[in-house]
Amino acid sequence: MPVNLALGHVSNDFLIAALAFYSLAVLTFAGDFAFGRPRRAAAAAAQHPARAMATVGGPESAVSAAVGTAEPIMPELRVPPLRALFQADAWVRGAMAFSTLGVTAHAVAVITRGLAVHRAPWGNMYEFVTALTCFAAIFFVGAMIRYRAWSLGVFVMGAVVVTLGLTETLIFTPAGDLVPALQSYWLSIHVTAMTVATGVFFVSAVLGVVYLAVDRYNRRVAAGRAAPGNGIVRRMPTLEQLDRLAYRTVVFGFPIWTFGVIAGAIWADQAWGRYWGWDPVETWAFITWVVYAAFLHARATAGWRGRRAHYVQMLGFACLTFNILFVQVFVTGLHSYAGVS
Amino acid sequence: MTELRTPDLDQDGYPAEEPRAASSAPGTSGYGLAEWLRWGWRQLTSMRIALILLFLLALGSIPGSMLPQRGNNPGGVLQYYKSHRGLAPLLNHLGLFNVFGAPWFAAIYLLLFTSLVGCVVPRTFRLAGSARALPPRAPRHLGKLPHAAEYAVNLSPQQALTVAARVLGDHRFRLRRSAPEPAVPAGGDWISAEKGYLREVGNLLFHLALLGVLVSVALGGLFGYKADRLLVEGGTFANTTSDLDQFNPGRLVSGSDLPAFRITLNKFDASYITSGSQQGQPAAFDAHVTYRASLGSPARTFDIQVNHPLSVDGAKVYLIGHGYAPVFRVTDARGQVVYDQPTPFIAGSSANFLSQGVIKVPDAQPEPLGFSGVFVPTAVDIGGTLESVFPAADRPVVSLIAYGGNLGIDSGASQSVYELDTAGMRQLTSQPQLLQLGQTLRLPGGKGSITFTGYQQWASLAITHDPGQVPALGCGIAALAGLLLSFMVRRRRVFVRVRPAEVTNSEAAPSAIVQFGGLARTDASGGFEAEFASLAAELRSAHEAASPQTAEQVQSQQETGD
Repeated sequence: MPVNLALGHVSNDFLIAALAFYSLAVLTFAGDFAFGRPRRAAAAAAQHPARAMATVGGPESAVSAAVGTAEPIMPELRVPPLRALFQADAWVRGAMAFSTLGVTAHAVAVITRGLAVHRAPWGNMYEFVTALTCFAAIFFVGAMIRYRAWSLGVFVMGAVVVTLGLTETLIFTPAGDLVPALQSYWLSIHVTAMTVATGVFFVSAVLGVVYLAVDRYNRRVAAGRAAPGNGIVRRMPTLEQLDRLAYRTVVFGFPIWTFGVIAGAIWADQAWGRYWGWDPVETWAFITWVVYAAFLHARATAGWRGRRAHYVQMLGFACLTFNILFVQVFVTGLHSYAGVS
Repeated sequence: MTELRTPDLDQDGYPAEEPRAASSAPGTSGYGLAEWLRWGWRQLTSMRIALILLFLLALGSIPGSMLPQRGNNPGGVLQYYKSHRGLAPLLNHLGLFNVFGAPWFAAIYLLLFTSLVGCVVPRTFRLAGSARALPPRAPRHLGKLPHAAEYAVNLSPQQALTVAARVLGDHRFRLRRSAPEPAVPAGGDWISAEKGYLREVGNLLFHLALLGVLVSVALGGLFGYKADRLLVEGGTFANTTSDLDQFNPGRLVSGSDLPAFRITLNKFDASYITSGSQQGQPAAFDAHVTYRASLGSPARTFDIQVNHPLSVDGAKVYLIGHGYAPVFRVTDARGQVVYDQPTPFIAGSSANFLSQGVIKVPDAQPEPLGFSGVFVPTAVDIGGTLESVFPAADRPVVSLIAYGGNLGIDSGASQSVYELDTAGMRQLTSQPQLLQLGQTLRLPGGKGSITFTGYQQWASLAITHDPGQVPALGCGIAALAGLLLSFMVRRRRVFVRVRPAEVTNSEAAPSAIVQFGGLARTDASGGFEAEFASLAAELRSAHEAASPQTAEQVQSQQETGD
């Protein structure tokens, strides 16, 4: 079937719209930092769970107290996620509205691209990055609502805007057909898994950067080299909360990545006659897997928790990025489909 | 919540206690071989060493992706030898052109898997042992747990405990209840309950399945094989070692194990996108073959495509390459036809299929002839040089340089059919000569002529057999299942403590203070907060439902009723 060019143009327009909405979302998230209502109370409660515990006892408030004293992942855990969102600051509500509009436009862009080319819309580098940022945005908006992690919006959505913008300007590729090697239903299994996992790891990497930044600030304060009470850090979740959110994000992405590698092996067996051949891209997928596995283990090893574990996580994402941006483009192998010229 | 650690549960099963690994390094005196070995084994199976080995595994793989490897790019290795004369032998000595078969790489992963076994096997026994073990005693102060609640009920402590046991039992917690000791009123009675043993099962399944993957790969290396055969349209080959271009058997495989099938390439079709921005990009490849599974079996036809291999007699046949084979007819000085056959040329670029090849005519008289040629599928003259603008053979042209003299075939050294050794030859034509279809080049000095009579296509087929494939897939799926199990199931404990309430009013019903606390060891995917909250709510409503109404409550109900 020929490529539907009109639909391809619709997809491009929606992508521009998504970029615009995301940019507005980032600006509004930043506005929340600058002008929004302080969220001290929640932060204080989160920092002293033990103190909150001590007040438990009255029979009347017992059950709600049980919920309230459950370690809050992010502020305002007492109310259900959506209601918490509606009760939040106007800046937060605005930013979330822009994010949701952006994600919707982005998803429409990806879907129409798929309809235009009659296949899973991740057959070259441009489509891959467009789709992975879409999955990252969907995943993160969901996580923001579930864990009330609005303070992190400016960082993750900011990274999405930068990545998507660079993709759009540097490696835009019009809708087209695929080479025979990619004409297989395994494209929609293997590459889908890899795209989703990359999107999820993208989010965990940004969270890891935020973790390391807050950690660095805290240590500087402890060493007397920085003034305590930084306005940005004060609005952020605690280190423990950041650590747990990043960890859970990796935990979500790791099995998907594992599945993607297995699906890739099955496809490689179909197409090339062996399920594993240490093709450069395969090798880097393996290295990425090993490093993320090391992160999961590091979190359970004394002396590696916290900062060092997150350095490992950063390393994992560096391997992932290196694989996408360098190995797939410049190293000759069987996976040279990037189509970047 | 990791601060709250009960000693009998370790974080991920690996011995998490750092002091043992760090402090007990044997000193110089008083340690025998056994102690050293035990110390070494403890080190190897410690999480820290496992982590380091994981990093080494990742690090060791990097040269395998950055340098050409013998297994998948032998041409690249030769090229590297040519361009880095000094460095290449050194790298070769370190095994860097065959990283994934190198002893040092094997050492890393074997150590890692030994570490894994040393950790997983004891854990399996411990898990088996804990299958019937009871949860630990409830801690004294439940309020210090990460999740806790407290309320009063109008029940006796024992009644309240029974209700709690029923609720937790309904949620399929494994229960342990304190022995009823009326003599100990202070601390009260307790229940401890635990759930989520499948997490450890999943974790072990994951690690064991990884071992299984390694074994499956080894199985393929021992009993599998891989062979290649280039076939020009119309050509046939038999699956025997003598008729294959390349045969890479596993360690326990010989040529006699090959299934005896024959394959004929009837026709090869390649189609390309002819317009638009993707012009020249391949659209489809089809190798139309006829095959016989064995000598007597009937001939069948099959269309081998890139993602569509042919399965025959336990082996699979894949289409892995294609190209052009121009047909040349060479006559020598006597006027005799000494060469008339398609000659496979190898494409340098898949974008335009500009292909190179050589023609060797050892039987020509008075001296052997050789030609090095370039096949241009769609030739366009761009500023005096010939370029191919499209991969299909729309306007085929060949460009030839003729040589005469000793081909070097008889010297004994093996020669590539794609390279001409011109050391013992003279160049007969001063510059490349262009031939279109049907044109003839007459060699100077009456040494003969060469005619470009046509072209055919060739397909390169890979024949593989890997008995480790299915086990590897099974182990991969098991690893994934184990991973999901260990991430999604949380191992959690909840505790109930009941103590009698201090009686202030003698008319009040017997009442007790219920304390409820819980912790999840590894809550990887989150959600224990919510589970604990709903469990706490359910427990409380069960207690309220079971308790007789107090006088006050009865009275207030009567008031509202009136």
